[in-house]
Amino acid sequence: MSLIKVCEVTKTYKSGDGTVIALNNVNLEIAEGEFLALMGPSGSGKSTLLSILGGLNPPSTGKLIIDDIDVYSLDPELLADFRHEYVGFVFQQYQLIPYLTALENVMLPLAITSRSGRQQREMAQTVLVKVGLGTKYQRLPSQLSGGEQNRVAIARAIVNEPAIIFADEPTGSLDSKTASELLELFQALNQSGLTIIMVTHNKENLAWVSRALYIRDGVLVPIPEEA
Amino acid sequence: MRLTDIALQNLRRRKMRSVILVLSVVIGVASMIFLLTTTQAMKADVANKLDQFGSNILILPDTGEAMTFGGITVEAPTQVKELDMSLIPLMQTIKNKETLATIAPKLLVDTKIKGQAILLLGVVFKEELRLKKWWKLEGLVKNQIPSANEVILGSDVARSLGLSSNETITIKEQDFRVAAILQPTGSTENDQAIFIDLMVLQKLANRPNAISLIETAALCYTCPIDQVTQQLREKLPGTKVTALKSTLESRDNTVNRFNLFAIIVSILLILASGLVITMTMKSSVEERTREIGILRAIGFRKRHILQIILTEAGLLSSLGGLLGYFLGMGAAVLYGSVLAKTPINIVWASNLLVYSLLGSLLMSVIASLYPAWKAAILDPNEALRYM
Repeated sequence: MSLIKVCEVTKTYKSGDGTVIALNNVNLEIAEGEFLALMGPSGSGKSTLLSILGGLNPPSTGKLIIDDIDVYSLDPELLADFRHEYVGFVFQQYQLIPYLTALENVMLPLAITSRSGRQQREMAQTVLVKVGLGTKYQRLPSQLSGGEQNRVAIARAIVNEPAIIFADEPTGSLDSKTASELLELFQALNQSGLTIIMVTHNKENLAWVSRALYIRDGVLVPIPEEA
Repeated sequence: MRLTDIALQNLRRRKMRSVILVLSVVIGVASMIFLLTTTQAMKADVANKLDQFGSNILILPDTGEAMTFGGITVEAPTQVKELDMSLIPLMQTIKNKETLATIAPKLLVDTKIKGQAILLLGVVFKEELRLKKWWKLEGLVKNQIPSANEVILGSDVARSLGLSSNETITIKEQDFRVAAILQPTGSTENDQAIFIDLMVLQKLANRPNAISLIETAALCYTCPIDQVTQQLREKLPGTKVTALKSTLESRDNTVNRFNLFAIIVSILLILASGLVITMTMKSSVEERTREIGILRAIGFRKRHILQIILTEAGLLSSLGGLLGYFLGMGAAVLYGSVLAKTPINIVWASNLLVYSLLGSLLMSVIASLYPAWKAAILDPNEALRYM
């Protein structure tokens, strides 16, 4: 059964006097529990598709249905609630808050819930252990390596137990060993039931995913041999 | 973790910005507190002096003629209308009754002692001494009130009768102890009179409840003196109510002008502080565009972002208000007299602390609303791409 349905989604941007088509009539279905890779060259529209899927960027036309909810028909505040409940993001460059410790960064999504401070701390510590950062949770992001920061970002994405994780080039700035460890973690999370959609430009990462899609010029196409 | 924790952590991180914002509030609040406290103390000081200078309103029987209370002509009650004690409670029913600080009724009776014509002035000693604070009384210690069997002699009377304090004087066949001699005042009414308890004189003169005039000190800073006078006229039919406007008005005008100046300066300082808060918070929001994008992306509502920004501004402004209060009050206590160019009494007013805190908080909320709203409506997708 499809968890996510993308129906005839087009996204255009104004650029100077003209219009740029970032996505052109994209149709897509993603089943619950999939680990999907979105590939494509730079500027192909994969990050735009990811932001649309994550409820961050409304399409110019078309619909996004997640768990039978027409996501972009929601009021902006309900859309924020939707992101909080359904979605976890692992951004490019991790996007951690620099003045909060690893633990506090992970606790952020819980700050707007009714959970007590103690409950929040316990939940955050549990996921930090799960991503292999059980001993470094009091460190600031600047005191962690790139791989560790990425793990904090993953912990923050999963602490609220969302249905879907969106990861934008999570291995882009990591060495191959750290990247493998990270993908192994994603795979484990996927096997525990999470649906994961990952933007990547690295063909080697396809070994870890259950399905891959290729975007070129805003259109989904079969994966080319040379990719 | 709560939204307040996020706000606090951000303030800790941006110490210099926080210090600047607190300082701007401290300067604004301290200046306001200093100016307003000093102005209030000056008002109280002028009011106090006004009280010392004598009555502001004189209530006389409506005879159609002016009446001075030093003259012997008041002797014949059949020729001159009299007032009575029932007027005093009536005076306390006027709308601006709180401005009547002192009510001093008097009965004037002439008599002869050792062949000399003497004016007996029946007074309520407590009220009279409160009204005539500049009097120098030989024989009485400060705040001592003469009793019913004691009198105060005007300096001329004491000299002509050869009496000094603690001696005995016989008035209308009754002995009284001389409690004090009033040092020369330059006023013949006072220097040539014997001050005696009002009720005792009413009894001696066989004129129970009778009074010749009422002096009242109206401290009219919160109301126009004309209104008080008019209210008294309405309540006291058959009397002539006269306000000594010139003294009041000139003093009141001076203080009011300074008060207006203090208020204008205070408003300008509030505006300046508010502007600093707005600019500081706006710059803070711009610096944190990506952070706000992250928070919005992970599900923070607009009101959560508003709450974080307003909490930051509120916390810093409250701290500024607190420090500003202590600095302003401290400066007023130490240097208020220098500004007023006269010794004034400034006391630490705890209610001003509450006003300072609430005022700072309100100012910060108003000043931060625009930057906070700008932050709240940031498009998360755009904000995440902000460099």
